[in-house]
Amino acid sequence: MGDIIEFFKGMGFMNIEWRQAVMLCISFFLLYLAIHKKYEPLLLLPIAFGMLLTNLPGSGMFHSELWTAFLDSSNPAYHSYGTIMREGGLLDILYIGVKAGVYPCLIFMGVGAMTDFGPLIANPKSLLLGAAAQLGIFLTFLMANSIGPLLESIGASADVIANWGFSEAQAGSIGIIGGADGPTSIFLTSKLAPELLGPIAIAAYSYMALVPVIQPPIMRALTSKQERSIKMKQLRSVSKTEKIVFPIAITTIVALILPDAAPLIGCLMLGNLAKECGVVDRLSKTMQNELMNIVVIFLGLTVGATATWTSFLNIQTILILLMGILAFSCGTAGGILLAKLMNLFLKEKINPLIGSAGVSAVPMAARVSQTVGQEEDPSNFLLMHAMGPNVAGVIGSAVAAGILLTMLG
Amino acid sequence: MIMLSVNWPHVWMVTLLGFCLVLCLLFVLIFILQLLGFLMKEKPAKQAAAPAREAVADILPKEAATAKSGDAATTAAIAMALHLFYNGIHDEEPTKVTIKKVERRYSPWNSKLYGINNLHR
Repeated sequence: MGDIIEFFKGMGFMNIEWRQAVMLCISFFLLYLAIHKKYEPLLLLPIAFGMLLTNLPGSGMFHSELWTAFLDSSNPAYHSYGTIMREGGLLDILYIGVKAGVYPCLIFMGVGAMTDFGPLIANPKSLLLGAAAQLGIFLTFLMANSIGPLLESIGASADVIANWGFSEAQAGSIGIIGGADGPTSIFLTSKLAPELLGPIAIAAYSYMALVPVIQPPIMRALTSKQERSIKMKQLRSVSKTEKIVFPIAITTIVALILPDAAPLIGCLMLGNLAKECGVVDRLSKTMQNELMNIVVIFLGLTVGATATWTSFLNIQTILILLMGILAFSCGTAGGILLAKLMNLFLKEKINPLIGSAGVSAVPMAARVSQTVGQEEDPSNFLLMHAMGPNVAGVIGSAVAAGILLTMLG
Repeated sequence: MIMLSVNWPHVWMVTLLGFCLVLCLLFVLIFILQLLGFLMKEKPAKQAAAPAREAVADILPKEAATAKSGDAATTAAIAMALHLFYNGIHDEEPTKVTIKKVERRYSPWNSKLYGINNLHR
């Protein structure tokens, strides 16, 4: 009889807290978005499932307290991966890859192996649009920093300010959502503010999926009908040699100027070189498929696992979600406005709609530029032109992450 | 607990310098890409185009062959000509529908299976 009572006492149903139940409901909702609405399902599904696993009482798959001790310099388990391996669950062990910044770099390798930088090489001016779209990152950083002083000025209590405000490192991690690049957001957040990893990853991937909803109203508001109808000249063809030299040159220059961006840019360009050189097809295919898929599963599960009720159900998560959408919108506006500014000086005008594609989110943002452009003129094909700023945005956000890491890390 | 005090000079420095650095670094990359394009574009394009231009001159009328390569009308005319040419080549098929008779022959290797499958006959 005692055994039966013990068994019932050990059941998750007997130990569940209402906040855990709320987190389970959120994970069910995210699973619904991934499966039914197909919002970035490749990552949202493992993230949502990781969230489900970590919030099941007694499952013991992820221990956030172990990772708090890992970061506490006064704790004997400080920076001790041995403690994690000894006492951690399955997701703790897999999370080491996030903590060490391995998974985002491996994903970037796969992204590089799947990306054609041809449109960017053919039209290098696209890089400027990719840079301007990073405006959202820095504006959001500024805004996240100002929340604490703003609350102070309206006479909020010290507790409220402490719970609602963000440190500089946290503000940098929130700002990077504006880069619309999941792996970069995760990479930077795991280094600067690991306690915010769950909400930031979910915000980044959710907004990336919502690019077709968020961007078009901003694009229409900032451009005239005439500007949206601009037809651009066909891009020149790019030789194979150019495509091979490009990743080597970019890696060398970026890593020499900004060493902190080297892991992301280096992996991105290694993947691209493997694809373009044509002599390591097996490696290229592995990077694009098997490696990428395995890492996506590990990354999604473990990032989802960090979204425990203690770290997720608070006012900071809501603020992160709000500022994330603002970061996205500012990035979109930055790209469009710079394209308009460039048109004042350029002989061959560019369609400002391609500026919005500078926020990364490959290739969704480029597709949005194409769709909005065709609403004005169905014979206008902007997709290839928009792919230039789109892939430039990937480089731009990795560079911005490197800069934030250098200045705030 | 989160630090309440904000070091504004540092925050402004990160914001302005950070954004300017992104712009400057990508400016450098633009310069390098343009240099790369300038060094690598011209020669191979001319070499590759020469035999193709001769081949086109044999097939097409003089006006089309001497037109600029970027001329959209010429490209469209060539594409249309190729489309018509290849569409003309088509296997002639008998317009009869036939059903091939499938016969199962007896074999000692499948006799049992054959017997079970054909019980209804």
